[in-house]
Amino acid sequence: MSESDKLPTPTPISTPSLTPKKAVSVQKPPLAAAKNDKTSGPGIGVYVCHCGGNIADVVDVKGVVDQASGLEGVAIARENSFMCSDPGQSMILEDIRAGRVDRVVIAACSPSLHETTFRSLLVRADVNPFLVEQANIREQCSWVHHNHEEATAKAATLVRMAVGKARHLKPLSPVRVDAAKRALVIGGGVAGLRAARDLVGLGIDVDLVEREADLGGFVSGLDRLYPDGEVAGDFVERLVSDIEGDPRVTIHRSAEVRRVGGYIGNFTATIASGASSADQSADQSADQSADQSADQSADSTSASTSNVEVEVEAGVVVVATGFRPYAPTRREFGCGRLPGVVTLPDFGRMLADLPDTASSLEVDGRPVRSVGFIHCVGSRQLEGVHKPPKGGTLNKHCSRVCCTATLQTATQLRDRFADVAIHDFYQDIRAYGRGHEELYEQASRADVIFHRYAGDTPPKVRKAPEDDENGLLVNVVDGLTWGEELEIGVDLLVLSVGMTPGDIGTIIDNLKLATSADGFLQEVHPKLRPVEMAVNGVLLAGACQGPKDILESCASASAVAVKAAVLLGKGYVELEPYVAEVDSARCTGAGQCQEACPVEGALELVEEGGGRRAKVNPAICTGCGCCVAVCPSGAINVAGWTLDQFASMVEAITEGEEVAS
Amino acid sequence: MREDDHSSPPKILILATTSCAYPGADATGQAHLSYPTNTFIMNVPSPAILPEQFYFDCYDRGIGGIIVMSCGVECPFEGAYEQLAARIDRVSLAMRERGIDQGRLKLCAICTVCTKSFVKAVSDMNEVLAAQEVA
Ligand SMILES: Cc1cc2nc3c(=O)[nH]c(=O)nc-3n(C[C@H](O)[C@H](O)[C@H](O)COP(=O)(O)OP(=O)(O)OC[C@H]3O[C@@H](n4cnc5c(N)ncnc54)[C@H](O)[C@@H]3O)c2cc1C
Ligand code: SF4
Ligand code: SF4
Repeated sequence: MSESDKLPTPTPISTPSLTPKKAVSVQKPPLAAAKNDKTSGPGIGVYVCHCGGNIADVVDVKGVVDQASGLEGVAIARENSFMCSDPGQSMILEDIRAGRVDRVVIAACSPSLHETTFRSLLVRADVNPFLVEQANIREQCSWVHHNHEEATAKAATLVRMAVGKARHLKPLSPVRVDAAKRALVIGGGVAGLRAARDLVGLGIDVDLVEREADLGGFVSGLDRLYPDGEVAGDFVERLVSDIEGDPRVTIHRSAEVRRVGGYIGNFTATIASGASSADQSADQSADQSADQSADQSADSTSASTSNVEVEVEAGVVVVATGFRPYAPTRREFGCGRLPGVVTLPDFGRMLADLPDTASSLEVDGRPVRSVGFIHCVGSRQLEGVHKPPKGGTLNKHCSRVCCTATLQTATQLRDRFADVAIHDFYQDIRAYGRGHEELYEQASRADVIFHRYAGDTPPKVRKAPEDDENGLLVNVVDGLTWGEELEIGVDLLVLSVGMTPGDIGTIIDNLKLATSADGFLQEVHPKLRPVEMAVNGVLLAGACQGPKDILESCASASAVAVKAAVLLGKGYVELEPYVAEVDSARCTGAGQCQEACPVEGALELVEEGGGRRAKVNPAICTGCGCCVAVCPSGAINVAGWTLDQFASMVEAITEGEEVAS
Repeated sequence: MREDDHSSPPKILILATTSCAYPGADATGQAHLSYPTNTFIMNVPSPAILPEQFYFDCYDRGIGGIIVMSCGVECPFEGAYEQLAARIDRVSLAMRERGIDQGRLKLCAICTVCTKSFVKAVSDMNEVLAAQEVA
């Protein structure tokens, strides 16, 4: 085995490895350019799998092996019942170790199943893992064709294509990028706080940016929290005290991220803050040392009055910007128009502000004898029933937390005021988490009266006549009494508002983040990569991803911290090697590639060797190949997907064909 | 065209994207659907990598039809699909100028579960090629 075919050494970003290309004239079409790169070394081993009968029942495996063994560059062709099994893998390993082959073609199932198996095998054999190519003769041959002769001929062609490609395979190295062991956490709600705490616990320093002066986000404005009734303020204080004073966390309050860009390992952000980290350290030191407090609070005052901008670096960006509670319009249930109509968070604050000794509730000096709660306000909206905001869309999603938050508030109200009548107008009770259903039961036992409405006939609210004993009248078609229309008097009507996407346009635009149809941020994959954005190194914590309660927000924040530790743990990150490479000797600096490149910063023209040359930033290049297609001198290729390889594969298909066009 | 039609039909090159159409072709196999053997799938990260000349060289070498199975607007490579679509339009126009039946090139979007659309795209192309053979 040649030295160059051994295990990959990651390429430092500053010196991207350039694969020397064969000199091919500019005018020649790509197919004509298909010459072998495989000129020395033992040769290609072709291994054809029976996959039990999955392949062998349709394809004459021996026939395919015989044809493969005659192909140019092939040293050995063999078959096995299960190539992925120990005996199958051992056969390949032995051939490599004995120096019989130095690159491999596996004709078997789809690479989606066993590509990593065979790459690992090559690593075990001390061969570059990218020197393997698979011919998909199961999913794309034996499972879709039934005529033995034709299927065998096709399998042989697929193997010929793979061999054609394998002749041009080159050892590839992952792109290595130095990574700052710092995280930028945007948003200081429970998710951001929890992420910050776990990140420093894993050795990653944090810049935490919070738009407001206070930390804690939406939860800091709540009274008691489901499922256990904990006081929200106490909970937030615990999270804040975990990071406040920790020198590894720089907290930027009343601050916003003006600009953020870069790539995994190397993000930079400009943070504009009214009260920067200087305040924080000043505040903390002030607690510790009375002597110094005068000076440092002076710093703090100056920092908070001047709008300071600081630049920070980060290896990963954690978006923890949370949500916006739905703001009902004046058309909805009289909110802002009728006295006594409030939102659930407002009502939570009313309860929190009431002295413990208060014996009654009052609204505008009127005693409250009856309270109504309406679920799904601003959630589960229907076309034709609800009106989207100007230029916006309907919130069709369920906000998930409001049912349980409503039940929790209703039981809390009952605990404090035994005589108040409580009416709960709901569509469905979605009490899905541990301890949630118990709250439903508790509310039912506590004489909360439930009325079920249908989504297309929400309750109607109006002001009660002066002589009525209650201030408001709610009309509902109640599904629990077989569609009876009820009119219920209440003095206070609480709207269980849902969660809507936060206002984070700058971050979305700067980092090119994807949102889903509901407007929340969209992870790469809901099950397999639930806290990662498609942009490498951007992670998601909390309700910016969609409605979540605190448990779920903190769980995702902790997952983010671990993910960040995995990404940054080594002090560098390794990226896939499939990025564009420029052959400087052939590049004429014409610049079509730069015009075609859709990714900002991936490709630039630089002065080099007395002329302009294209230069790729492998950390940013996505490997789309747009540049490859337009280069008039064939000077640019995507590593692992070169035009030579494609040309060889087409040649393998058309071997012996007449020119037909 | 039927699988048991033993005349040697023109070959179809299928450019299938790694993220969408290639898994779509796999899913077609997993569903044990059937299509003719004159089909050769080439995995590509994005077909936007292939220059216009690639298509003409394929036809020159004897490829009957090319189906570009992309991810459509779901393309994971920012901006690549738009460039691909524009290129296919240009290639198609140039095919007319060169007297190559434009039906021999087809761009479609195939997702990871588009098994029936996959089979239909193949059978549509085979119909075009069969009609051409007759003509
Ligand atoms: C009515 C209601 C009651 C609820 N009751 C409960 C309950 O009892 N129990 C429970 O478990 N859950 C409850 N929840 C859910 C809970 O509020 C959320 O799970 C939690 O707030 C999510 O935390 P977060 O940090 O993701 O978002 P948030 O709380 O929204 O915090 C996000 C933070 O980011 C900041 N921010 C936003 N944009 C930027 C920016 N661009 N730059 C800097 N900072 C920014 C915001 O100012 C905010 O401080 C309730 C929700 C609602 C709507
Ligand atoms: S959680 Fe309950 S109140 Fe909230 S939107 Fe869903 S169904 Fe409606
Ligand atoms: S492969 Fe795509 S992203 Fe990379 S330099 Fe070329 S055009 Fe730009």
